[in-house]
Amino acid sequence: MKILNKKYIVVLLLLTMFTAKSNAQILKAEIRALGLTCSMCSNAINKQLESLPDVKSIDIDLNTNTFIVTLSDSNSLLPSVFKDKVENAGFFIGSLILTVSSETVFKSPYIIIKDSVGQQKQVEIEVLDKGYVTAKRFKKVSKLYKNVETFNENNENDFHVLIINE
Amino acid sequence: MKKFILIVTVFIFKQSACQELFLLTDPASNVPANSLAVNVLQSLFKKEIGPGYNYHIMPEVTYGVNKNLMVRGTAFLSNRNNQLLAEGGGFFAKYRFYSVDELNSHFRIAGFGRFSFNTSNIHQEQIEIMGHNTGFETGIVATKLIKKLAISSTVSYEKAYNNNPNFTLPNNFANNATNYTLSFGKLMYPKKYISLKQTNINLMMEFVGQTINENGKSYLDVIPVIQFIFNSQARLDLGYRRQLLSSMMRTASNGVYFNLYYTFFNIRKNS
Repeated sequence: MKILNKKYIVVLLLLTMFTAKSNAQILKAEIRALGLTCSMCSNAINKQLESLPDVKSIDIDLNTNTFIVTLSDSNSLLPSVFKDKVENAGFFIGSLILTVSSETVFKSPYIIIKDSVGQQKQVEIEVLDKGYVTAKRFKKVSKLYKNVETFNENNENDFHVLIINE
Repeated sequence: MKKFILIVTVFIFKQSACQELFLLTDPASNVPANSLAVNVLQSLFKKEIGPGYNYHIMPEVTYGVNKNLMVRGTAFLSNRNNQLLAEGGGFFAKYRFYSVDELNSHFRIAGFGRFSFNTSNIHQEQIEIMGHNTGFETGIVATKLIKKLAISSTVSYEKAYNNNPNFTLPNNFANNATNYTLSFGKLMYPKKYISLKQTNINLMMEFVGQTINENGKSYLDVIPVIQFIFNSQARLDLGYRRQLLSSMMRTASNGVYFNLYYTFFNIRKNS
């Protein structure tokens, strides 16, 4: 799947707005947080993430500020909830890698901007939108994908993703 | 005194100093949204004139309204009139309006304001709305965190009014001042994290100064602090305040602090 054209996306968006959100299923989220070094700050993020519905477990690497959130089946969480929670704790997301069912990534609100999905049931995707990567990486990917119209619109309701476990 | 400054400087740059949860100076970062922090700060300062000590106790409640705004209420109690009495209270708000965060570092700027009232007698030239004067303070704070070291600085304007209902500000005392602080904090332990239950130890060095705008009278104090963080949720701070220089009348400038702090996370469910 190369670059999707805009009309197609709008139709997709509209379609999914009226269909069950539970299609967009995130199985696992790996969040790397920015701007902290001490465990009290890590705990602030941990407690925010714990307050999400459908959280099964949270594994934390305190030395790299990485939080691996395992979610229960049939949740309808969107990538933006992780951003909101981390920011509520007072910090920012440096990278967000999601494990999703491969059918999920074809649907709105996800927009694949590079690579394709093979036969596997689950894929790992990295969210590239503003606020989900470091400022430096955002600058780089903005340049790289400047011809992806929706990417430059900075719409908070769609998520541009890169498939990383091909 | 020169020797003391040298020791202080060596302490900061040699051991170099978690950083930004300072004892007396607020950093540009806020408490997490929807969390409630409760702390009790106690201090015991030796009186400059005559024997005895001034004991102050300040219970505080801080709430994170959203990711950028926090508010705090404080009560002031002291034994300056020979028995422990509630003398006043204060309200504080801080808004973070600038943030650049990278891996293990950040630079943030916030604006803050504080209003306090106090009913005790006015007994010193130093303007201090935290437990002494009725008045307000407004200012700006910038904080830089680089790995395990945090550096934070504030500049503020402070104005005192009469301590109602019974005590007016003496005519020979000025009613406004400029405050400045510079704080360093460093995470000393653990070197490597293995769990949220590990006790953290932070060392801090805070410099707090004031200049009375009208007449230039000033003071500068240093406050070395050792801080323990338990279970990534509770804090204990021990600090010692020492006057480095002063050209104004102060009634008690050297003493010790003891602060206990606890954070209740996610106090409103489903938000």
